[in-house]
Amino acid sequence: MEQLLIKLGQYMFVIFGLLAVGGAGVLIFSKSAVHSVIGFLFSMICVAGCFLSLQAEFLGVAQLLVYAGGIVVLFLFVVMLVELTKYQEKGIFQTQTKFAIPLVGLGLLAFAGVFRTALFGASTNEALTLQPGLVGATENLGNAQAVSRGLFANFILPFEILSVILLVALVGAIVLAKSERV
Amino acid sequence: MPSFAPGLWENLSHDIHYIWPHILLMVSGLLMLWPLDTWLLPWTKAEKHKWAIPTMAILVVSLVLSIYTPNGLGFSAMYKVDGLAKGFQVLCILASIFAVMLSQKVLGALVEHTAEYYALILFATSGMLFMCGAVDLVTIYFSIELMALCIYILVAYLRQQERGIEAGMKYFLLGAFSSGIMLFGISLLFAATGGITTNLTELNQKLAVVSQDKSLLVYSGVLMVLVGLCFKVAAVPFHMWSPDVYDGAPTPITAWLATAPKAASLAVFLRVFGTGFHSISYEWEAPLMLICGASMILGNVAAIKQQSLKRLLAYSSIAHVGYMLLGVLSRDAQAGAQAVWLYMLLYLFMNTGAFAVLIYLQGKNEGERIEDFAGMGKRHPVLAFSMLVFLLSLAGIPPFIGFFGKFYIFLLAVEQGFTTLVVIALLTSAVSAFYYLEVVKQMYFKEPAEGEVEPMDSYSKFLISTACALVLVGTAFGPQLLKWTDDIRWFEKEAPAVVMEFSNK
Repeated sequence: MEQLLIKLGQYMFVIFGLLAVGGAGVLIFSKSAVHSVIGFLFSMICVAGCFLSLQAEFLGVAQLLVYAGGIVVLFLFVVMLVELTKYQEKGIFQTQTKFAIPLVGLGLLAFAGVFRTALFGASTNEALTLQPGLVGATENLGNAQAVSRGLFANFILPFEILSVILLVALVGAIVLAKSERV
Repeated sequence: MPSFAPGLWENLSHDIHYIWPHILLMVSGLLMLWPLDTWLLPWTKAEKHKWAIPTMAILVVSLVLSIYTPNGLGFSAMYKVDGLAKGFQVLCILASIFAVMLSQKVLGALVEHTAEYYALILFATSGMLFMCGAVDLVTIYFSIELMALCIYILVAYLRQQERGIEAGMKYFLLGAFSSGIMLFGISLLFAATGGITTNLTELNQKLAVVSQDKSLLVYSGVLMVLVGLCFKVAAVPFHMWSPDVYDGAPTPITAWLATAPKAASLAVFLRVFGTGFHSISYEWEAPLMLICGASMILGNVAAIKQQSLKRLLAYSSIAHVGYMLLGVLSRDAQAGAQAVWLYMLLYLFMNTGAFAVLIYLQGKNEGERIEDFAGMGKRHPVLAFSMLVFLLSLAGIPPFIGFFGKFYIFLLAVEQGFTTLVVIALLTSAVSAFYYLEVVKQMYFKEPAEGEVEPMDSYSKFLISTACALVLVGTAFGPQLLKWTDDIRWFEKEAPAVVMEFSNK
């Protein structure tokens, strides 16, 4: 039993990852929009679990707060407010299914190969964790501290560009969606 | 121990002299949104075209600033100013100036939100400037996103037109998807090199020594980055969006789309494949050769059947990207960058000129279809002549300037040993002459339709005449062009990467 638990701990990332993929499958394939949102929520929580298993606590908590807390609620609002029943006949969306399925299968096989080498190949002796060397920290810092160092010291230029991207998204939403003044 | 605010300020201001032009563009775009539009310049309400002149002035100032920025490496080795960055930055800003000049007519149809149109062009241009100088995959990704997001909005800007909305939506969905693929590729490469660096120079060294077990990881990462970038330059087989988007976007934005984002994306292409993945060129050479050949063939062959000139120019721009990818393939990355820059500069003038003529005709509800050009030689002799010059130059017929660029890039490709691709390029150039001459035939040998001559706005007149003159006699300035081209270089000595951080002691 103890052996099993240790093994489980080692493969936590893989387990959470597979569960997340399962949630994504529910999101895509379920007929009801509410089930889709719940599948999405489940998938996001599992991604947070992946982050936690990589010792990135800050990212995991942020993932929970932002996605599970914020975005899923917004999705639920949309699902409640928009009447989806009139799009029941799905024929218009699924004209390319017969081409898509073999292509997806091919892609899945390719990625299975990639991830087999990534996870179980010779590279496993380097642990898949956030390396402290990445953020230039020498001593054992907390996760949030490491992230803030990354954001405000090494990655300050992308961070500033990101702020402009958010501004542009805001402007775009207003320009495209606001009703014209008469 | 410095507290947070001074430390942050130190980080921000340490290398700020490299990005003054970007800051100028972003801050003035911000001020245009508010408060200048509503408070300080109330006369813009009455005359909505007035924003064009300030926007052009801002762009010209940033052009001058970017030329005189000192060379160097900054922001924790994330942003580099060198000949390559400056050269492509100049191209992007020039293309944006042209777009603003061409936009006057289209903006007449808008009721409001004219300031936002110009502000978005400024934001997108700043994103392109960042792309040209970015030497870190993270910076590259974010600056591409900044540029792309602005473009999605501008494509759908005339939202009373259904075609524009559809084009914007299509571009947005596919663009978001391709960005995702590229980001995935970046993360695979990051993992394959030990999860330490995304800096292109360091990545290059690490990729060269990565163990055999990880070659699959590296290969898929490189391929995914390649796919993401090919989508941005609309190379075959990632070109599906481009004819629809070119067709649906407001025509000045189409002219801009065919030049500015392509120049910036090609700069990223050269930077990523010339420095970042240079040591593993065997991984990406074969796929890129396929993409290059397919773009030349499909772009030119599909253009033959087009009825709308906008779509024809879209397919022809796919073909031109194919020619330019020959420069990216070059094993001598520096020479390749120079050839691509020269080609892009000449393409900028030919293409913008052709679109300017198209926009003028569109103002009279024609110009979309090729038949609308019938008899233009009689109705507007000067305009028809300049269109003739642009089209022949796009086809690469000497003595026009397009031939100069093609000759330069094909010569380089032959020297580098890509003879098959050059043969394809020459054959497809001949095909392209066919469909360009089809338009010429319509202009000169068909009877004109009824219609009176409409006066042209002064910006377009200026733009068309300047571009026409340059394309006509540009070859005479060959030595000067080559001198500029020679400046498109990586600066030799790699400055040591200075990693800044807050001291905790």
